[in-house]
This record gives sequence, structure tokens and C-alpha cells, in this order.
Amino acid sequence: MKNKVKIARVQVDLTQQQLANKVGVTRQTISLIEKGSYNPTLKLCLEICYAVNKSLDEVFWIEKESGGEQ
Amino acid sequence: MKKIKDERLILINLKNIRFAYIIQTLGIIGILGYDLVTKGLNGMRENPLWIVFMVSIVVSAYLSMNVSVDHENNEKSSKKGLFISLVIVSLISVMIGILTSLSEGFTIINGIIIGGILFVCGLVPVLYIYYLRKKRQEDNPDE
Repeated sequence: MKNKVKIARVQVDLTQQQLANKVGVTRQTISLIEKGSYNPTLKLCLEICYAVNKSLDEVFWIEKESGGEQ
Repeated sequence: MKKIKDERLILINLKNIRFAYIIQTLGIIGILGYDLVTKGLNGMRENPLWIVFMVSIVVSAYLSMNVSVDHENNEKSSKKGLFISLVIVSLISVMIGILTSLSEGFTIINGIIIGGILFVCGLVPVLYIYYLRKKRQEDNPDE
């Protein structure tokens, strides 16, 4: 699933490791989320949003594509 | 060792455990199958692995009732389901009991005991399913 975690993380000047420590997961998990190959739970999404001072909408919202994958 | 808090790793861990469980079960079935071929049915039952296997099957059957109750979306009341199940369980136990007491070498007492055991064994899952359905209905009152 595509998301804007990487952009949001760079904007608040955090490394993957720092963000990982803040939200309590491993760096590999953050990396996989940014690549879009791991689907985080809503709880983890919220934690990431708190850490980068953004709303769920700004980081994870994607427009529904007609016929394509969401 | 630190406790794993990463949700992704917890999930991977669970999947690994599932894989190990499959291998373990296949191994147990293999050993029991070998016993069945070499020592016969009674020889197989003497193996303590038989009890382990049976207990794990019963536990997994009870746990999967949790899933199947949520999966089914029938609108019939849980009371009616309980009543039908009770009638069927009683009928089967009485029939087996009568057949046992009529067969050679068994007394009426044997028939009553076997029928009673069957009834109790059938009653427990029926009551458990009833409890689960009732709980689900209480959780979703608008359904």
C-alpha cells in the first residue's frame, strides 16, 4: 500500500531508526512500511502520525483507484 | 531477552509457530500411522502420543467453534438451535444405548452407561455453541 511516511519522516528530520524507536517497532518494519510492502495496523499508523505531527489523512490517505488495487 | 513489541515480528512469529505446528502434527500422525501398521489399533492407542494428538484435536475443535459461530450468519434464534441439537443428541444417545443393551454380552446397565456418556459428550459442545451464539447476540443487539 502506497503512503507518504517517508516524506513526512524527512520533513520532521527523523531517520528510520529514530522513528522506529519513537513508535516502538524495528527499523526494518518502518522500511517495509515506506516501501509499501507491509500493511501496518491502524494502531501503528496512528503512532507514526503522532510521531511526525500529521493527521492520518495526510500520511496514509490515497484516492480510490477505479478498478485498480487500493 | 527483550519482549518483542513489533507487530510485524509478532505476526511472523505466529506464522512460524503455525508452520512448526504443522510439522509436529505430521510427525505425530506419521508415528501413530507406523504404530497402527506394526502394532494394530490397540498398540497405537497405548502410545502416549495418541492422547496428545486427541487432546490437541479436541482443543482445536473447541477453538474453531469461536470462529464458526462468527462466520455463520443465520437469523434463527439460538434457543431453537439449542433445542434441535438437544433432541438430536438425546435421540442418538438413546438409540445407541438401546442397541448396546440389546447386543450380546452387554447388559442394560452397559447400555445406560454408554448412552449416558454419549449424551454428556454431546451435551458439552452443544451448550458451548449455545453460549457462544447467545454471547454474540448480546454483543450485537441490533442484528
